[in-house]
Amino acid sequence: MKGTIYIVDDDDAVRDSLCFLLKTVNLDPTTFTSGDEFLEKYDEEMTGCVLLDIRMPGTSGIEVQKKLQQLNCKLPIIFITGHGDVPMAVEAMQSGAFDFIQKPFRDQELLDRIFQALEAHEADEEEANHQRDIQHRYVSLTPREKEVMEFVVKGAANKVIAIDLGVSQRTVEIHRARVMEKMEARSLAELVRMSMLLEQ
Amino acid sequence: MTSAENPTDKSTIRFDQLDSLMNAMVDAFIVIDARGLIERFNNAAEEMFGYSSDEITGQNIELLMGGRDSGNHDRYLDNYQKTGKKKVIGIGREVIARRKDGSEFPADIAVGEVSSGGQKRFIGLVRDLTDLRAAQTQSFRQRQEMLNTSRLSTMGEMAAAMAHELNQPLSAIANYSAASLRLLDKEDPDIESVKEALQQINNQAHRASEVIRRTRDFTRATDTRREKTSVQDIVAEVKPLAELDAHANNIALLIDIPANLAPIEVDSLQIQQVLLNLLRNGVDAMRDVDPAYREIRLSARYTAPGEVSIVVRDQGQGISEEVAEQLFNPFFTTKNTGMGMGLAICRTIAEAHNGSLEFRRNPERGVSFALTLPTQATS
Repeated sequence: MKGTIYIVDDDDAVRDSLCFLLKTVNLDPTTFTSGDEFLEKYDEEMTGCVLLDIRMPGTSGIEVQKKLQQLNCKLPIIFITGHGDVPMAVEAMQSGAFDFIQKPFRDQELLDRIFQALEAHEADEEEANHQRDIQHRYVSLTPREKEVMEFVVKGAANKVIAIDLGVSQRTVEIHRARVMEKMEARSLAELVRMSMLLEQ
Repeated sequence: MTSAENPTDKSTIRFDQLDSLMNAMVDAFIVIDARGLIERFNNAAEEMFGYSSDEITGQNIELLMGGRDSGNHDRYLDNYQKTGKKKVIGIGREVIARRKDGSEFPADIAVGEVSSGGQKRFIGLVRDLTDLRAAQTQSFRQRQEMLNTSRLSTMGEMAAAMAHELNQPLSAIANYSAASLRLLDKEDPDIESVKEALQQINNQAHRASEVIRRTRDFTRATDTRREKTSVQDIVAEVKPLAELDAHANNIALLIDIPANLAPIEVDSLQIQQVLLNLLRNGVDAMRDVDPAYREIRLSARYTAPGEVSIVVRDQGQGISEEVAEQLFNPFFTTKNTGMGMGLAICRTIAEAHNGSLEFRRNPERGVSFALTLPTQATS
């Protein structure tokens, strides 16, 4: 499993013990002593997940979550909460946190959540990459090819496209082949899926 | 020609007007003669008491009286006519009134006296106080609850802070020990790492006990407000809220506090808190028991010279051996919504007052909690 576990907790013992535990299962943790420190060091290239203490002096866990969202951060966040923090945790979940776990927790419980978060993040990343690729391919189309693609994904026959665009059917066929090639689509169905992704 | 037959006659018009005025009144309007027999009964009265004017006219006014006034009105009238002493006439007072269906309600009555043609009559205005009383009870309840929450919240906050403080070292211990187990499960365990973790576990255990020591110091430090008071006074403070709580759950609250107990020197709020807590627990324990058993008894007695016990006795589902062992432990609870701090704090308060809090099972059913406190020498 790739990615780093970013542990953000103000309590030295909790933070260090988490780090210690994660290392024994060959995860790659790094630690931050406050929300502010994490926000300061945060950059878009980070991958993995965040273990975020909900109750911290200075910027609270919830505030860190909000600021990360403003930065368009896609790292899944697992909140670590105490006994009375459940309402806060619910709020965090509603704001899109991946999960929360109550202190003190069983190690396996935490590890399961971390692995799930990493998996989810990887899947997200893949999808985001895929979307970016398609975007790149689409940009490389000529204006006429884009026009043709629009007709094609609506299911229009070549003959109809030819009449609508005022070109020969043969020309449409050539454009169509170029679109399939540039978009790296192996079938019409795949091209339709791609056009749906582009619309998102 | 009699006056009643002449529509232009002054007195007839007045009489008609009086009738419609009477019926327009919001309050019940009742006229009785000197013997207490009803002569007039307006619309509002019909609605309030459930009798029609026709059926009640000529009946004794006592029919409408509930509580301890019923059966005594003849005597009241007698008394007044003999002594001329007014108990209610021109003064008004609150009474219990009775409807036709036998149900009773609080009412405010104002009585006036008229004499005409050598005949004495009494005019009564009756106002139903049910809604007013309900509103008062409601606001009283809210006030008490607010008071109670503010008291509880200090303890609640303390408990929450303590929970948070304890959670930190416990989490660290859980993490280090879990990691150690994983390390030792490996083929070639890294003993040095395990040793390091054990050292940390040791440190964190000491940190946790430090938290507990500090909390104890804190409860001791807050025990400075002591005042001389009586068990009766404390119980009187607790009674309204405890009654609301009990009655809301169909539980009878019996209070039996002898008047001659020696004074005690305590933090009244804290002792009230303990009693409320014990009473609440009692109520909770009886929520699901047969209605016949739903009774809480709050009593006090000397258990030794210079020592008084306030006992809260319920007839609830009782406490199992297993639960009894942990009953006073912090964070132990059998309730779905509880911190498990109630009895732990209660006992701490008792001990801070050089007293004790013990429980025993009743021979028949339920349990009793006894808060024992030293009394002051009466001087």
